Amino acid sequence: MTKIEFIKEVAIHCELASDNLTINTMLKSIKGFDSFAVLSLIAFIDEFFNVKLTAKQIQELRDFASLIELIGENRFES
Amino acid sequence: MTMGTKILSIETHFPEKTLTNEQLSLEFGRWDPDKIESKVGIRQRHIAAKEETAGDMAALVGEKILQSYDKDKIDFLFFCTQSPDYFLPTTACILQNKLQLRTNIGAFDFNLGCSGYIYGLALAKAFINAKLAKSILLLTSETYSKHIHARDLANRTIFGDAATATILEYSDQENIFEFVFGTDGSGMNNLIVPNGCFRNAFDFNPTEITSESGDIYTKNNLIMNGPEIFNFTIASVPILFEQCLIKNNLDVDDLDFVIFHQANKYIIEYLRKKINIPPSKFYSNIIETGNTVSSTIPIALLDSINTKKVKTGDRILLCGFGVGYSWGAVIIEI
Repeated sequence: MTKIEFIKEVAIHCELASDNLTINTMLKSIKGFDSFAVLSLIAFIDEFFNVKLTAKQIQELRDFASLIELIGENRFES
Repeated sequence: MTMGTKILSIETHFPEKTLTNEQLSLEFGRWDPDKIESKVGIRQRHIAAKEETAGDMAALVGEKILQSYDKDKIDFLFFCTQSPDYFLPTTACILQNKLQLRTNIGAFDFNLGCSGYIYGLALAKAFINAKLAKSILLLTSETYSKHIHARDLANRTIFGDAATATILEYSDQENIFEFVFGTDGSGMNNLIVPNGCFRNAFDFNPTEITSESGDIYTKNNLIMNGPEIFNFTIASVPILFEQCLIKNNLDVDDLDFVIFHQANKYIIEYLRKKINIPPSKFYSNIIETGNTVSSTIPIALLDSINTKKVKTGDRILLCGFGVGYSWGAVIIEI
């Protein structure tokens, strides 16, 4: 999965407004990024990457780049 | 002769007052009713009246189940609640009197949340096998709504109040098989009412805290760290399920039905897919009740019997998990 595909998948799984999302989009600024979306994000990352996101990590998340960093840059195709 | 325990009957009770998604949506203006229903699978939840306690609801459901059972046969009463009527006396003692059960019986409360029904079944089996009782009334009742801050939309959306009663009897055949339990108190702060007991007294002038999602609570209220509870659940429940099958020397194919604690639709559907349980064998329905804590499993069990999803002789895996952290699973035959 490329980083662009990843952003699209996150938007689908978390039911986020997907227009103009980039690697630098601040997650908490996206319309629809509420507590439901957070659970969906945890589930998606668990299911596809087998990575557990803690509440603290989610609280400290900035943009998609910081999410990718948590999962591991090497898990994505260039 | 084999000594065993069987579930003879189950009853449920819900407070009269309901809180609908439309009401929540109007009050908070944040989520639309359809979004709430599609995400958590809840359309309404019942809320206890101001003066209505978990003990009151337990008495009502107890009276209901005893309408078709000789109350003089009951020789032990277990009451599962985290919302007792008093610090003391034990609510189970009050219930013995309200239900006019014999005085030469045992009665006690036990404090557990979403794993409580599994523990209740284990206690019943143990007491019957140890010849301490032959006929047990297991009551569950919870009023989490009384702990939740009026402006905490997330928790008001999830939790509902309810009570259940189960009669378990001695049987010459074992219908309640092997149990698996788990406990991890390191998760205590992720679902907690911090104030009001002896560690932290009730604060009469509490500071309001606003979460990132805009929910408001104080330390007098129920506080849930949703992401951490979800993480605990998706890490522990698949292992619990597997361990329960292994301990009972069974496979998923040997089960007729699976009932998980009905936390919310999103969580239990995610678990179902992760564990690979066929939808036809899986119960998911909290649309009219919400998460009623220790009552969700008996409510689901009764509903699945009434709707003929479960029939006599079926093997069912029951699985409870949550606050504590505490978890447990068992396989029963109806």
